[in-house]
Amino acid sequence: MKRIEALEAILPAIEVVPVVVTCAATTRELAALADRPNYLYLLDSMGLAVSVATGLALALGNEPIERVIAIEGDGSLFMNLNALATLGFLAPEKLIVVLLDNGVYGSTADVPTYAGKLNLADMARSVGAVVAVASDREAVVAALDRAFAEPGPHFLHVRIEPGNATCPLFLADPVALKVRFETWLRARLGR
Amino acid sequence: MTARTDAVIAGIDRLKLDFLAYLPSSSIAPIIEHFRVRSGLAGSPVAFPISREEEGVGIVGGIALAGRRGAMLIQDNGFGNSLTALTTFAIAYNVPLLVLANTRGGLGEYNSMIHSFSGRVPAMLDVARIPAFLVDRRNSRDDWSGTVAEAYRHAEMTHRPVVVLMDFWAPEPAAGI
Repeated sequence: MKRIEALEAILPAIEVVPVVVTCAATTRELAALADRPNYLYLLDSMGLAVSVATGLALALGNEPIERVIAIEGDGSLFMNLNALATLGFLAPEKLIVVLLDNGVYGSTADVPTYAGKLNLADMARSVGAVVAVASDREAVVAALDRAFAEPGPHFLHVRIEPGNATCPLFLADPVALKVRFETWLRARLGR
Repeated sequence: MTARTDAVIAGIDRLKLDFLAYLPSSSIAPIIEHFRVRSGLAGSPVAFPISREEEGVGIVGGIALAGRRGAMLIQDNGFGNSLTALTTFAIAYNVPLLVLANTRGGLGEYNSMIHSFSGRVPAMLDVARIPAFLVDRRNSRDDWSGTVAEAYRHAEMTHRPVVVLMDFWAPEPAAGI
């Protein structure tokens, strides 16, 4: 399964929840599949998706928002592994991290990450996250369904193959993305 | 607890924060402790530790995007860890974010290395176009608490990260301001 296939598999589940998306190829592929106002793409903040989603999940803990999703890559998460520790410590129940692990820095010439030797699912398990591992479309959909049904924080470790889909550059203004996301969230909260 | 730590607490109280993220430093430890033991009680923010300033920018930024009120309490050498997050997220996305940072490397500094970073923090923040407001021994207690409170409003009104640099050094034998 390629990244874009994994993203396609989760599309129905993330239609009406806040989604924080890691940068570069992941952003481009998700935006090409379906660009929605509830997606906050982090265009250049490598490693920050889980942290931003953690803040959202904390802040929205008592709000009528079902889940908060972080779509992160293995290389990006290794750049801010602290985020995993803090996720475990703060344990926001609504947080779901969808980790797309292809074992390489997919947007920078496929240089291998630590993921070839280190298992991020084990690390997530060690901090107390509810972990599921999936490597095909059906398993991804089923795991995500469970993550919506049970309290988290959840860590869905999706094994994917290296390789990027051919998608146009995503050249949106970050401020416009932020305003669009906030406007969507306020409407969703009825504010 | 000194008059200045009291003033910072009073300033934070005026903000009616929902969340306060912190990383320790001895100067701000009494402030952290004050909020840590009251975390989540009526009228007090949920106070929680972060492991690195960079993730604090992400978490407190996420809180702001959700329409809740948050701030971060750190030591100024943490700007080295968080500069990329501040510039590529908080500044690039117009995320209002209050960072309260005690200063190191100035008068009274015992650590012979820390000035090499902390001494350059104001210039570094200036280059990064992050507004920073300094309070030190020359400011009154009201200045300290008022600056903390107004800095948050400044962040909200300008849609930007805003820093308050807090220099806790005082000449002996003065204990307060």
